[in-house]
Amino acid sequence: MKEFLLLIRSEESPKANLSPEQMQQHIEKVGGYLKRLSEEGRMKSAQPLEMTGTMLSYKNGKIVDGPYNETKEIISGYYHLLANDLDEAISIAKQDPRFEEGIWRMEIRPIKHVEGIN
Amino acid sequence: MKSTGLNKTGELTSHFFRNEYGKLVAVITRYLGSEHVETAEDIVQDALLQATKHWDLHGIPDQPKAWLYTTARNLALNALKRRKHQRAYTFHQTNGTFEVEQLPFSEELIEDSQLKMMFWCCHDSIPEHSRIALILKILSGFSISEIANAFFSNKETINKRLVRGRKQLRNVELDSPNEQDLNHRLQTVLKTIYLLFNEGYLPAIKNQTIRFDLCLEAIRLAQLLSDSQLIPKKADIHALLALMYFNVARFKSRVSKTGELMDLREQDRSKWDKELIQYGIQFLDRVVHGNTLSSYALMATISANHCVAASYDKTDWERILSLYDELLLLEQSPIVQLNRCVVLAEVKGIPSAITKLKDLGTQTDIHRYYLYHFTLAEFYKRDQQWLASKLAYEEALKLSENPRDREILKKKKQALVPNSSSQLS
Repeated sequence: MKEFLLLIRSEESPKANLSPEQMQQHIEKVGGYLKRLSEEGRMKSAQPLEMTGTMLSYKNGKIVDGPYNETKEIISGYYHLLANDLDEAISIAKQDPRFEEGIWRMEIRPIKHVEGIN
Repeated sequence: MKSTGLNKTGELTSHFFRNEYGKLVAVITRYLGSEHVETAEDIVQDALLQATKHWDLHGIPDQPKAWLYTTARNLALNALKRRKHQRAYTFHQTNGTFEVEQLPFSEELIEDSQLKMMFWCCHDSIPEHSRIALILKILSGFSISEIANAFFSNKETINKRLVRGRKQLRNVELDSPNEQDLNHRLQTVLKTIYLLFNEGYLPAIKNQTIRFDLCLEAIRLAQLLSDSQLIPKKADIHALLALMYFNVARFKSRVSKTGELMDLREQDRSKWDKELIQYGIQFLDRVVHGNTLSSYALMATISANHCVAASYDKTDWERILSLYDELLLLEQSPIVQLNRCVVLAEVKGIPSAITKLKDLGTQTDIHRYYLYHFTLAEFYKRDQQWLASKLAYEEALKLSENPRDREILKKKKQALVPNSSSQLS
């Protein structure tokens, strides 16, 4: 099994326009999906991220705030999961019920393993 | 009755968010003052949003309700504190009766607030359409697009109704009706709930789920009235509940596996929900023991007769006809007359029902209503008068404004005659 990091990307507040009923459906669908993945032993961890935070960078000899992405899109959460290969990781990601709501993007990155280091 | 918001398997109870939305908006509006109902709605939407954000990856907490109430309470407190800074001079007057720092959310307070909210949204001075939209938006947590779907309307129309209703609400006080107008105002509330139910119950293929929810919501609202200690006389509430239970029990049998609409004659009666029928019977029993006879009670009794009939042919049509006669004494409406004609066809035969219906068409303006021509078309069809039937369907099509009705009518018309002119009479 290989490890993958799935980054959930979204615009500022993707759930803000859902109705109460749709919010509940969202929780139930995503909850069911994650539960299944944990039961299959594929999910190592899944965490939401706060929508606030900061970006630091090194510029002209000192650490500064920013630059911020020009788009409003930020990473709102991540999954750390196990899959046989990238194709399987992609197919797992495609089953995420978030996509039914059409307001999310998911970045799928294999975690790099270097012999003898991790 | 204490519920945590979780069912036995640890999942959220159905419509948890929607129901809690209405409860919280009702309570928080009381704390903020009725002129701030929209702020209360925003606060609750925000609380639900925060819950969604935490629960979708972390899982649902053990006490979702408590989690939600704490979040909503904190948001409401923040709103109150902000306002305290802005308008310190009015703050004590508007909120003098509350322990502001605590904002208790007790079950009693929630119940009472929901009831007040219901009477508020159904005030006489608010147009009927707006009442329904307000109730669904504020008390039932339906979004504008959900209401539009359920009503086969569009967001703009629903929004207009809401705006009109909200404007009117500013002139109405949020309080419990006093004893003198209680019954009058209760009738308006019941009528609104009944219209709400009917909107969901209209036969249609599309948007089944949301319309079924609408029916359940109407039942939930009536149940709140029925549970309330503020209202001493409950016969009408029970009658309406019985009527709604009998109808909703048949909701899902009205569409066939292949997606065709089925009328009473064609429905598979084994699919009728026995448990819901049983609830209907229980409420009807309570009405029968009282002495008042309302149209709700008569309509419920008519529905009960359908629900207990083993088959269409075994229906006690004569009993139903006499119930319609009683209903006409209370309510001389052409719509009731029209429905009575359908029953008359079963008791006295199609030709006399056609005669009666035609008389009705000349005596009243019901001939401007598409269902009049639809019923006539169905009668002609059963009497094998194909051409007359076709013409009546066409008339009905001309008069129907709703695409949903037009679709049904077109299908019925197409299914009418095998394409051979010899059968045209």
